[in-house]
Amino acid sequence: MADHVYVYGIVEDADLSFEAEGVGGATEIRTVEYRSLSAIVSEIDTTDPDRTDEDVERHNDVLGTVLEEGYTVVPMSFGMAFKNARTLKGVLRGANRALRKTLAEIDGTVELGVKLVDTGLEADPDEVQAEIGDRLDEVSINDTDDDLFSDRLVLNRSYLVDRDERDRFDDAIDDVREAYGDALTVQYTGPWAPYNFVDVHIGADRGS
Amino acid sequence: MFLFDDLLVRPFVSLLDVLHTLALTELYDVEALRDDLKENRLLYEIGERPEPAYRERKAELEAELERARELRAELSDKVEVKG
Repeated sequence: MADHVYVYGIVEDADLSFEAEGVGGATEIRTVEYRSLSAIVSEIDTTDPDRTDEDVERHNDVLGTVLEEGYTVVPMSFGMAFKNARTLKGVLRGANRALRKTLAEIDGTVELGVKLVDTGLEADPDEVQAEIGDRLDEVSINDTDDDLFSDRLVLNRSYLVDRDERDRFDDAIDDVREAYGDALTVQYTGPWAPYNFVDVHIGADRGS
Repeated sequence: MFLFDDLLVRPFVSLLDVLHTLALTELYDVEALRDDLKENRLLYEIGERPEPAYRERKAELEAELERARELRAELSDKVEVKG
């Protein structure tokens, strides 16, 4: 019976209800409120959902829909499900201060992902990385360390960008594409909820 | 990185056992396998690897990762493995 609640993320002061493909076969997304915090949730029949590629994608898609509406979102990791709304509200009460602080820190921002793949670069990759990194730093608030999991990667970072600066960031990416042509393949993704720029630990007891 | 402390407290663990352990853990490097999985996905996403080849490689790497995890769990009882 789908009476547990699955949490996608937390926003401030929202009363949302919309149809979307959610985790665990859910079709209705809504909010559970505790004071000024609103958890984006759907119903689910387990407190320990399997991490499938499809459901991870649905988790991100739901957050993407909320982001598109202009909300600032503290994203939850995949798999946060609670026994019921009451249990969730208890968790929100415990994490109230940390969540509000985080919401203030990331207010008005989104996360963007940039991967640059060497597809025929003749210049020194380290120099290219430094040059492009500096350019993208100018139009972002923060960035992650590179995760160079492949020899082909020249740069792989997530950027925290103010929504108002999004066009400038897009322009910077266009400049990179134009400057390097076929020598670099640019994989530019987002906007995402700022997964890599929040550090909130909640849900020690999910009541399962 | 491997700790050979067991050799000091358990002298009956032969050098051959340790070398065998080293070879196996090198072969089943979990982090390297995770990186290979991510690279496979990246090459598919940028259009350098066709979907059938991507799926085949993904299945191979996931099976290797599973074996690596099992092996590490078995070896953890014998020699402490860190990293």
